[in-house]
Amino acid sequence: MMTEDFDLILDECIERISRGDSLADCLSDYPAYSERLRPLLESMYEIQNVYGAAPSADAKRAARRKLFAALDKQHQTNRVLSFFGLVSRPAILATVALLILAVVGSLAVQSVLNPPTLVPSQNGNFAFLISDNPGDVNDFENFDVTILEVKLQPEGSKEWLKLTPEIETVDLTQVQGERFEEIWRGDVPAGQYSRLRIYVSETRGNLKSTGQTIEVKVPGNVVHMLTPFEVTDDTLTIYTFDITVVGIGDDGTYMLKLNIDESGT
Amino acid sequence: MSKRNRETGRGIEEFEARLVSLYEGYYDKLVRYVYVHIGSREEAEDIAGEVFLKALSALRSGQEQGTPTQWWLFRIAHNLTVDRLRKTGKHEPVPADSVVLLGKDDPVDAAEKTIEYERVIEAMKQLTVEQREVISLRFFWGLTSKEVGGVLGKSDGAVREMQRAALERLRGIMGVQR
Repeated sequence: MMTEDFDLILDECIERISRGDSLADCLSDYPAYSERLRPLLESMYEIQNVYGAAPSADAKRAARRKLFAALDKQHQTNRVLSFFGLVSRPAILATVALLILAVVGSLAVQSVLNPPTLVPSQNGNFAFLISDNPGDVNDFENFDVTILEVKLQPEGSKEWLKLTPEIETVDLTQVQGERFEEIWRGDVPAGQYSRLRIYVSETRGNLKSTGQTIEVKVPGNVVHMLTPFEVTDDTLTIYTFDITVVGIGDDGTYMLKLNIDESGT
Repeated sequence: MSKRNRETGRGIEEFEARLVSLYEGYYDKLVRYVYVHIGSREEAEDIAGEVFLKALSALRSGQEQGTPTQWWLFRIAHNLTVDRLRKTGKHEPVPADSVVLLGKDDPVDAAEKTIEYERVIEAMKQLTVEQREVISLRFFWGLTSKEVGGVLGKSDGAVREMQRAALERLRGIMGVQR
């Protein structure tokens, strides 16, 4: 057999095993080469066994803490820089800039700050759900997330559409696993959407162990979803926002974690 | 930082949100990628965490524009790994207790697994840097041979050949060590 052919078969078996096929299945499809394939595929298993283990939970938590601390530090620096930036500019430039912004940008600002609000309807073509992949939310008696509004951006448009949840506050302990809460249903113009933003105001829960109320910070109070999705006129598009609460240290600190794989349409 | 970011700040918010999402999705993969090259899980975990701090730092300094992607994180991880290997000059020995042991309840089982893990790690060190790159991108980053070829600037046929050669070499080394 040509070496290139064997390389292709080996590659196909590696691909299939990665997708969940068994070693035996692959070998039985290529009985003439199984003697040569077997030891190589067993080596692959051994490598995956050694290097494929999940990183330690402590290291992952520590890395997450450092990232959030760096984000917080950056926000503080930006606020200081932005203040000094404003006061150092000549007043005349600031005035002219403000005038230009007021006249030229008024429509754009209007579009971002006050986008058209979509009307809820029980027969609508779009539903927005909240769900909770079980994490550390069971540490809490209740964990309430309040969503002020959700904005959707049609692909290729600078404008946003806004929907205001009919149910503002969802208790994450009540929507775990397959359970969910539908917070809005209504008509959304059919088409491709490139982005979605979820504006969160309060995220807090009461710990079972102490009864203490814990507030969890969401950077900027907004969650950005960048996975595109499509809405059609004739079918119901269900968008699920799947979040959970996870502990990030031994000091009782918690964060809200977005489950990317479970979120979307 | 892009001009758009400086003017509106909106780009920064989106960048940060995307980075946090990438953290959740790719931290584990980064650890495994680095672990294959460095041979120490603790160091791999350190470097994977550092990748995200470097990414933020690049945003602050204006080195990076646009939306962060897994490829950008991969590039940072790759550079940090190369730097670390350059500094140490060679792979550090892996302490036996740094690997995750399955079946810890049974000391004999745990000891055997430790020996087996060290055997694999030692064998991996015998591969060329490119062979380890193929193994890590293919088995742990989940890329196809064609995609690995794109990263390494090689044809998919060449990648498949390197993959087979790497596995044969590993089998040869591990077979002798048994």
